[in-house]
Amino acid sequence: MALIATYAGKKRTVQLGIALALAAWVCLDAMGSGGEGWARVWARLPILLTGNASGWPLSGGFALNVFLSLCAMAVAALLGTVLGFGMLAKNRLLRVPCFFVMNFLRNSPWLVLLFAMLYIIPFNVRLFGVSIAIPAFVKAVIGLALPTAANFAEIIRGAVQSVHSGQWEAARALGYMPMSIYGRIILPQALRRMIPGWMNLYALLMIATSLATVTGIQDVITTLNTLLAMENERVIVYFYITALFLFFAFCYPLALLARRMEQSVKGDSL
Amino acid sequence: MNRTDALIELDQVTKSFGAFQVLKGISLAVKDGEAVCIIGPSGSGKSTILRCINGLIPINSGSIRVGTHEVHKMKTEKEMRPLRHQVSMVFQQYNLFPHRTALQNVMMAPVQVLGHDRREVEARARRLLAKVRLSEKADAYPGQLSGGQQQRVAIARALAMEPQVILFDEVTAALDPETVKEVLTAIRELVDEGLTCILVTHEMKFAREVADRVCFTDHGRIVESGPPAQIFDAPQDPRTREFLGQVL
Repeated sequence: MALIATYAGKKRTVQLGIALALAAWVCLDAMGSGGEGWARVWARLPILLTGNASGWPLSGGFALNVFLSLCAMAVAALLGTVLGFGMLAKNRLLRVPCFFVMNFLRNSPWLVLLFAMLYIIPFNVRLFGVSIAIPAFVKAVIGLALPTAANFAEIIRGAVQSVHSGQWEAARALGYMPMSIYGRIILPQALRRMIPGWMNLYALLMIATSLATVTGIQDVITTLNTLLAMENERVIVYFYITALFLFFAFCYPLALLARRMEQSVKGDSL
Repeated sequence: MNRTDALIELDQVTKSFGAFQVLKGISLAVKDGEAVCIIGPSGSGKSTILRCINGLIPINSGSIRVGTHEVHKMKTEKEMRPLRHQVSMVFQQYNLFPHRTALQNVMMAPVQVLGHDRREVEARARRLLAKVRLSEKADAYPGQLSGGQQQRVAIARALAMEPQVILFDEVTAALDPETVKEVLTAIRELVDEGLTCILVTHEMKFAREVADRVCFTDHGRIVESGPPAQIFDAPQDPRTREFLGQVL
């Protein structure tokens, strides 16, 4: 059989088999006792997705997770870029603290950082005599952005340093100044290697937004927990499977795309 | 040779990497238009000599002069810019910029570093690509070219800076035997045109044919130097004899 002749072919067959078996199990279960459970999930799906029973306007639920991940990624990109280039700096006084911060953030559990932000960041700040309340959402964004920024910075550093040292040498021999070597030769090559890493990181961040339930924002997990209080114990598992599937459906295509891009930037074949 | 009319002059150059002394007092003078081949075993400091001449590696002591530039006194890349204009380099691993086409590789530095007019540079680049017989590959990316083709693009890129001197660092060492010839042909033409060339090479036959002078290095010193006929046919130093006995 040509389909399973190769390693890749076998792998694909096994994956397909597992997916089909899972689907078959869910279908069988739904036809039997699970039908009622899925009906409950279906009825609650709008509120899980949007935080609103009618499905509009968006006020929480999974949509909030997506929004949270986008905000945290934006902050992380900004912070991570500064940190990443700090780690590449020639000046020790700049480089060493950046390494320290990066290592500290990268090696802290995300949940612990979230809790830390929850308590470190005050509820109110007084700025020029005006009291500004800091919503839980902002704390969640910062808490998630910190570890993401550290990983973001590592991706930058890794990609820049993975560019062959001969490129530096050749550029210097042609009379380029260090800044224009970065701008014209190193970064254009490194950027292609960063993008897949960033996409993987974003998928990880999206998954981690489920932790933000500890800040009390009305994300999909908080919504889920509230709903479950009103539900029969036997249908809980269907709700969790649904939440699991939501994250999977959002992140898996990203991971696939990232892997495909990784393949295309392997080695020197730019 | 009268030292003052030399284009390149190295005097008692030493260089250490950590505790390892790579160059232990190199003195060498190269006249304008001369082709000098540096041969010797691996790790004898051949490539380091080239990198010191264009300031890629700072030296520990001694002096290096290229034309009017005193390389050993230059500290920053900015100070070295005029030197880099005068001295080009071709590398063993080609080091073309993989995100740019062959033509762009040749054009980049003259436009971006020297600030030459783009149209004028493009004409020059196309002329140089024709010279290394790669006109039809102008729009190909380095990844699409063979090793020999990449190395010829690298030579065109070095020439586009309109240098007085080109340093060749084992430019055929990464190539397969068949493509070595096309690269050597390109270099031979440059030597014949009177461009000053310093070549680190393992191609003894080529060194004998093109070089005006051959230097044999071993353990960070120039052991022996002279016209190719003398070095290859009547080496004086026992180490030269031993080395040539192994490679020839």
